[in-house]
Amino acid sequence: MTGSNVNAATPGSIVDRPPRFARPTRAGRRRSLAAIAAIACIGLFAGPALRQASAADAAAPLYGPLATDAVRGGVLTFGSLVEPPGLDPYHQGADARIRFTVLMYQGLFYEAADGRALPMLATGHTVSADGLTYTVAIRPGVRFHTGATMTAKDVAYSYNYLRDPKNGSPGASDLSLITAIEATDDATLRIVLSRPFTALPMTLGNKYGGVVPAGYFDGADAKAKLNTASVGTGPFKLVEFKPNSHLELARHADYWESGAPYLDGIRATFVPNSASLVVALRNKRVDLALLVRPQDIAQVDKVAGLQVKRWPSLNQKALDFGAETKPLDDVRVRQAIALAIDRAEIQQASVGAYGRPIHTMVAGMQDAWGADPKALAHQAVDLDAARALLKSAGLEQGVELTLTTINGYEWMDPAAVTLKQQLARIGVNLKIQRVDLGVWIQNFRAKQMGFTFNDWATQPDPDLLFYRHFRKAPAGADFRNWNDERASELLDAARSEADPVKRKALYVDFQKQLAQTVPTVMLFSADLVTVAGDAVRNNELHPSGWYYGLVRTWLKR
Amino acid sequence: MGRYVGRRIGASLVTCLLGSVLVFLVVRLVPGDVVAQMLGQTSDETAARALRGYFGLDQPAWRQYAGWLGRVLQGDFGTSWVRGQPVAAMVAQAFLLTAEIALLTLAIALAVGVPLGMLAGMHEGRWPDALVQGFNALGLAAPVFWVGLMLLVTVSSVAGWSPPMIYATPRASLADHVQILALPVLALALLQAAACSQFVRQNVVSAFRQDYVRTALAKGVPLRGVFYRHILRNVLIPLITFVGLLFIQILGGVVIVESLFALPGLGRLLLAAIETRDYPVLQGGLLVVMACALLVNLAIDLLYRVIDPRVPLR
Repeated sequence: MTGSNVNAATPGSIVDRPPRFARPTRAGRRRSLAAIAAIACIGLFAGPALRQASAADAAAPLYGPLATDAVRGGVLTFGSLVEPPGLDPYHQGADARIRFTVLMYQGLFYEAADGRALPMLATGHTVSADGLTYTVAIRPGVRFHTGATMTAKDVAYSYNYLRDPKNGSPGASDLSLITAIEATDDATLRIVLSRPFTALPMTLGNKYGGVVPAGYFDGADAKAKLNTASVGTGPFKLVEFKPNSHLELARHADYWESGAPYLDGIRATFVPNSASLVVALRNKRVDLALLVRPQDIAQVDKVAGLQVKRWPSLNQKALDFGAETKPLDDVRVRQAIALAIDRAEIQQASVGAYGRPIHTMVAGMQDAWGADPKALAHQAVDLDAARALLKSAGLEQGVELTLTTINGYEWMDPAAVTLKQQLARIGVNLKIQRVDLGVWIQNFRAKQMGFTFNDWATQPDPDLLFYRHFRKAPAGADFRNWNDERASELLDAARSEADPVKRKALYVDFQKQLAQTVPTVMLFSADLVTVAGDAVRNNELHPSGWYYGLVRTWLKR
Repeated sequence: MGRYVGRRIGASLVTCLLGSVLVFLVVRLVPGDVVAQMLGQTSDETAARALRGYFGLDQPAWRQYAGWLGRVLQGDFGTSWVRGQPVAAMVAQAFLLTAEIALLTLAIALAVGVPLGMLAGMHEGRWPDALVQGFNALGLAAPVFWVGLMLLVTVSSVAGWSPPMIYATPRASLADHVQILALPVLALALLQAAACSQFVRQNVVSAFRQDYVRTALAKGVPLRGVFYRHILRNVLIPLITFVGLLFIQILGGVVIVESLFALPGLGRLLLAAIETRDYPVLQGGLLVVMACALLVNLAIDLLYRVIDPRVPLR
């Protein structure tokens, strides 16, 4: 994957067609071809036959492309608008935490942007014929930040801690199909499942947890200490985390990848407002930053010495329908609303040209897993059909709905106003209420979300995108009270399916069901936009928005 | 005097205690807790229960409060639920920076505002008064975030300079420290100088109309003598009250410049604690703010007595 210069996009063209990305470089094209080939192989990890990681997997670059001309050294100053609430990868679920802790902690596999789970602390794995037992070869010569050598016992301890719900990790439910993890020797791990689970390697990635020394959490205040000293195996280790100020990381001297990382350190400074960050970028106080608001990007777009690049994301801005709320329990009402929504217009109002309208799949996974939008119901605006549906639902006189938006999510305000105008055309009078994030999360988890905007992201696998959100309880959470039997069957089947072609077909069917009965309307994926000084080289941004690319970044001072 | 101070300190402690109960209850009335923040959209109730147990949120409220108060009385403010760092150290570091900003702001505001106010008061209705009143009106009307932002953008555009992004203590780097604090202190001080100037002007104008001033002037006492002997002394007592209030106001309002200039002060710490429902930090930080406000009030009352021994200590 390669980023594109912001200038390459045609302003205003978003309504007619998705923004174009710059022509990929030769290296980018090579990677894209490799990615396409790899996507065709997705699913082989859980194939019924015994399988070792392929040579392509072994050669594929973790974190991003390797630099051939990199100069080692230097400390990169990174300006961040968001601050991790804490650095505990086991108990803190915030995305702002994950962005940074992926530099310090590593799982068995790496979530490659193209959807493959590449071996990271594993070197390969085999799967039993029934798909229930994974035997994982553990990478030798890996050292923790503490100096100790990692063995399979550490890996088993870490994942067993993570998957035990009593330990309070938000990642536990992702591993609920695992019945046992044990180290058979220092270099081999055995994972036993209750049902085949094709997405297991992707789940053993870096979002939650990461391998830590066995027994780590037995220590007093172990959780709290993760904010003062890292104990992972990642390429950077924690030097200092100063709340409301900065985070400092230094290169892990005993890191197992030869020659990596290139930087001596990273100094992330937390800037709570974008105006100050823009000023700092223009004055070279920071080397690299992510910007979100189009008006901020415009201020650095043409500045000499700054490179602005945009990257597709795994994020989605969505409109959710809680079926516990009347009249959203009536599928005709949901369908009518879907038919009145102009996604491109909402995106334009929210983030300008820095995004892509989506349908039933996030932008970063559309090519690999998305259904053809033309095959999906209720995607194009059709006001007559929408009015007819409302009439058949007995709402020809109109209906009043309350839309919930979240304080601090700036895109939601213009999106809400635009949506209000769009729905007014079919007789839906929209009231807008803003709530605090804490309130919103509480309602979401209690499955009392009502009619609300949502802003969430995924790892690059459809199981991790869909299962928990849309599968009926108790296996899934079904936050929207969708309660769709057919969709749940499809999700179950796809979860166990090893054949990549059949797996994709199942997810396409699922997406058709999603579009037909409308528990959610996926609106658009906002692009990720990086702004870098001239000295910053070989920086790529992972579609998750996590800062993996810093491991391959170097500075030409 | 000693008895009076003892009584006031006792009353302050009771106020702090009542305030801490209020803070404890109010922060828990806000929907959503730290567990919801940490788990995000996950649905696992077992994990949520485990974390609630870890933080003691499964205990009755009175027991949580009693436990917290017991530890505070022993000097232990606990550990931040989100940051995992000792609350006392976090609050102390943040408070020192905020207090430094407040004191510097106050010093500049007084150094600029008092002379300007006097000048305007002594020349009431003439051009120096009009000039100062214009400055005051601008200063009182402009919001601090706008002034701060304008300063930052203007200095950046004109000089191609902006302050370092990572806060440095004076011990780590005095040069960086001065550069970092220059603009936020200036932004705050400009506004507070206007408030101070307006206050002093009003009091000087009002003092000029007092009988004793008129009498002194009629008796032929030179204006300078009347000003220093009679007017300034009488302006001093309300000015001290005003300065005390100003200090507390700066402490409360500094969060805006802290956010604008990325300073790790108390305001920003408390704001983050509210957002993440980090109760130990919130309770500890607000207790310090309360204690500080009460101490400043006590100091003002004692200063009255020093300036004017006729003021009774009640």
